Amino acid sequence: MHLSLEQLLAVRDGEAAPGDIAHVATCAACAAEVARLRSLRAALAELPAEGPERDLWPATRARLAAQRGSRRLARAGWIAAAMAAMVTLVVGVRGGLEAWREARTVHEVRTLIGQSQRLERALQALEAPGRVVSGRAAGTIVEIEDHIASIDAQLAHRGGESAPTPDLVSLWQERVRLLAALVNVESTRVAYVGL
Amino acid sequence: MPVVGGHSFAVTVDELVVARARKGDAAALEALYRAFEGPVYTLARRLTGTRHDAEDVLQETFLELVRSVGRFRGDGSFAGWVRKVAASKALQRLRKQASRPTEAALSEELADGVEASLSGRSPIATAAERVDLRTAVEGLSPTARSVLWLHDVEGYSHEEIAAMVGKTPSFSKSQLARAHARLRAILAPTAGEGPCT
Repeated sequence: MHLSLEQLLAVRDGEAAPGDIAHVATCAACAAEVARLRSLRAALAELPAEGPERDLWPATRARLAAQRGSRRLARAGWIAAAMAAMVTLVVGVRGGLEAWREARTVHEVRTLIGQSQRLERALQALEAPGRVVSGRAAGTIVEIEDHIASIDAQLAHRGGESAPTPDLVSLWQERVRLLAALVNVESTRVAYVGL
Repeated sequence: MPVVGGHSFAVTVDELVVARARKGDAAALEALYRAFEGPVYTLARRLTGTRHDAEDVLQETFLELVRSVGRFRGDGSFAGWVRKVAASKALQRLRKQASRPTEAALSEELADGVEASLSGRSPIATAAERVDLRTAVEGLSPTARSVLWLHDVEGYSHEEIAAMVGKTPSFSKSQLARAHARLRAILAPTAGEGPCT
């Protein structure tokens, strides 16, 4: 009585019951089958490697950029909401010259948040699913997205403060500048592919 | 298209490259992609059976790596982690394929057809007609092919495979035996039923 294929595989893999191992030691046919299974495993490992027919890195990088874009959009929503709450609160509790200065800062921040939101909407219109992006453009997009992520991290940190300050204005100015650069890259790409 | 180098995940990755990739460094991300492109694609191709699915798995694996690289704890090899992610993505893709029954049935029919044509009922196959190992593997059912590759080539245990596919270790063992039975029938048709079935 010979061993089943499952038992022979267990012998090959060192997981067999002692009785099965003893059988293979005395049965030439089963021993030959175990040897064949070992050879087949080695042959499988030696099969040539395969690769995609075209370089998928540019497309992967583009999907990476799109992924970062959608994360940026989500961040932008709640940061703007937190800032809106902050500037509303400030206008309600301050007074005098200090209030005038703060009101001006608030106005600037509000204006910049509005610009940021308009640019986000423009980007949404340009970032079509399944878009084609050159490796170079994708690299630029990833770099700008990384800068925006860094600005957003700082803005998120500032969200808990009680009043807007001039350096907050600088952060929003930088965010708007980077978004405008992103729109520029995307617009150029769209014009280039003739969409 | 064959690529230079093997399909093995025995890739050594510089920790500095991983650290830079965590910070989103574009050059480091590309270096990681290039290092694992071949092994991930080959694994995906063997498991899913189609170029299109393998390309999708390659991209999805890399996007997942970028999403999760910050959570890589470094308590195992980076290459082992990449292989696990790739296998998981490929198996997910197989589950999607299973919802397209025509393809699964076609694969089984193809395997049966190859077996039948070489089972001795046909004239003796010439060298040119002989089915090579890669073609034989591709002719297996998706499940048997996946278990065969994950166990015999990638070195996963039946317990690990069972966890990955949501089945029992016994299921993995029986699928491996089934894969080998089919391969034997395809590759050595003149051997008949073999000495040990």
